[in-house]
Amino acid sequence: MRAFRALTLNRVRASVRDRIALIFTLGLAVLFMVIFGLLFGGNGLSVTFDAVNNDNTAVASGYLKALGDQSGVTVHSTSHATAFSDLKDDSVTAVLVIPHGFGAAYLGTGPAQKVAVYQAGGETSSTGIADDVVISVTAGFAGRGHPSVSVGAPQAAEVNQVTSMDYMLPSMIAYIILFSGVNYVAIGLVEMRVKQILRRFRATPVRSGTILSAQVVGAGLIVLLQIVVLVAIGVFVFGARNYGNWLLLVPPVVLGTASFVGIGFLITSVTRTSESARALAAMVTFPLMFLSGLFFPISSLPTVVQDIARILPLAWASDALHQVMNDGSGFSAITTDCLVMAAWAVVTIAVASWRFRWD
Amino acid sequence: MIRVEPMPARLRLGGEMADIDVQGLVKRYGDVVAVDGLSFTVEKGEVFGMLGPNGAGKTTTLEIIEGLRTPDAGSVHVLGTDVIAHPQAVKERIGVQLQATALPDFTRVHEAVELFAALYRRARPTAEVMEEFNLEEKADTYTDKLSGGQMQRLSIALALINDPDLVFLDEPTTGLDPQARLNIWTVIEGIRRRGKTVVLTTHYMEEAERLCDRVAVIDRGRIVASDTPPRLIAEHASGTTIEFAKVPGLDVDSLRKVTGVERVIADGRVSITTRSPETVLHALLDPGAPWAARDGEDGEAGGGIQDLMVRHGMLEDVFLRLTGRSLRE
Repeated sequence: MRAFRALTLNRVRASVRDRIALIFTLGLAVLFMVIFGLLFGGNGLSVTFDAVNNDNTAVASGYLKALGDQSGVTVHSTSHATAFSDLKDDSVTAVLVIPHGFGAAYLGTGPAQKVAVYQAGGETSSTGIADDVVISVTAGFAGRGHPSVSVGAPQAAEVNQVTSMDYMLPSMIAYIILFSGVNYVAIGLVEMRVKQILRRFRATPVRSGTILSAQVVGAGLIVLLQIVVLVAIGVFVFGARNYGNWLLLVPPVVLGTASFVGIGFLITSVTRTSESARALAAMVTFPLMFLSGLFFPISSLPTVVQDIARILPLAWASDALHQVMNDGSGFSAITTDCLVMAAWAVVTIAVASWRFRWD
Repeated sequence: MIRVEPMPARLRLGGEMADIDVQGLVKRYGDVVAVDGLSFTVEKGEVFGMLGPNGAGKTTTLEIIEGLRTPDAGSVHVLGTDVIAHPQAVKERIGVQLQATALPDFTRVHEAVELFAALYRRARPTAEVMEEFNLEEKADTYTDKLSGGQMQRLSIALALINDPDLVFLDEPTTGLDPQARLNIWTVIEGIRRRGKTVVLTTHYMEEAERLCDRVAVIDRGRIVASDTPPRLIAEHASGTTIEFAKVPGLDVDSLRKVTGVERVIADGRVSITTRSPETVLHALLDPGAPWAARDGEDGEAGGGIQDLMVRHGMLEDVFLRLTGRSLRE
């Protein structure tokens, strides 16, 4: 155990001191976050609604307050005419019309009602978000045992209120898991093999399994460390939000890291030089990155590609992270994701240990 | 009638075993036979040298003894343990310095010493080892920033961190400047004084002559001779050696007929062994000889004997005479 600790510490310390590699990985993640964040609508969401309240009950006010309480959402109650002139001026994102009888419908004493949403023509990222916000708030409202209130002409959008930064943060966590998990193990181990460092360790009484697991665990710890830093940057610098439970990030992050560390480990057993390990790692990581819903949803890919993407562990990691952070889902929603990642980890690590070459 | 049971080679009188006992060792890489039936023993407290050119099989042999490689045939006992069957069993008691030692990146000298100390159940105090090997000044330096000599000192220090009974040094001075080499020799002599058994490989004759109690001359995976350096020289390199650059027009066969010449080896340089150097030199420098220098003629024949050297036998000559090739290509 002392040997394992010493070897792991050595590995982690060396990686932390290797500033260039560290900055490259983290810096790239932050850069992606900024670029895609700007591309998808800037830093932070601000959606402004004009609300035309034709109901004027306490329920309607409560509904509008709930909407206004969403971060980045502003709601003004105003007249019908003003609202639609604001919409024409583009000074609001959308207009909500709360029908008369909304309160009665909610309380179950009147017929069902729909909230109407009007938006100016032309798609922008914020109009989509506005829809999502309204649908989700209304769903939350109607979800309390009163399915009598809904949004008119509901769109088949996912229920989320995410800004582009909110979306990019879990994506970049998945990116770090992928990139660092594969590279730190694959390139690190192959270099240690080529330079005969592994052989030198084997000349000591330490068991082979201890030597390898210390390298693998050390690399895993580096990935976790990078994720902590990335999340801190995302939250404190870019104002990204997590709508779920922070603790729920642990299973997908740990299992995702394990599966990519496993893939990296597998690469070390089929490559001889660090150059070929680098090349193979790039061949694995880059397609995965674009196939797995990091930058755009998987559903926007051709079906055949989707089917392939859904086998790969990154898609599951990405899905689990987005579910938790963007949708606030509970563990039950990510159980399958976690099981698939665990299976990937077990299989890759088992095969890699079996096929491992010491020289 | 007394029946004599064959006694295992590693058993000595009084039942004491040699520290290392290698019998019939064979290692192949595909079609290449790297080690071709090596047998030798190393006694306790001995400094044993394996001498041979690159690719002779020294490192492979060493790594099999260290338990890092599995041989295709043969037996290896280290400190009484069969290391082929139990490669882990003796690792607490041996110290290993690999050829071209590299250590993990971004590791400081004192951290490397502490790391290796943590890999053994019993290790010497790291401060003591750092002091002994003169590494304190460099304690906070990254290992890849050390000079060749410093790095070699560190890697020998790491080989001794567990206070081993048996130390393996694979080409401890290759690539070092003369000053650093001398420094490492002093270090190795210190190890010998502490009563440790040392096995080292080298392709420097002067190193083997100075450090080793016994030397095995290895060529193409075989031991061609094994003895103390003085006896190797007496047996295989007695007499005087006359060396000079190859000369156009010089016929090796006719040289062999010169009176007093015992042996001629032409391998880049011409090397003649003799017990009557004066006679041979006289014949060589004869102005009437076909290889003698001639003025005014184009170099079709003769350029004269050049770069002439006359010396007594050395370990270098042993290798030359046993294999017909010089140690350094």
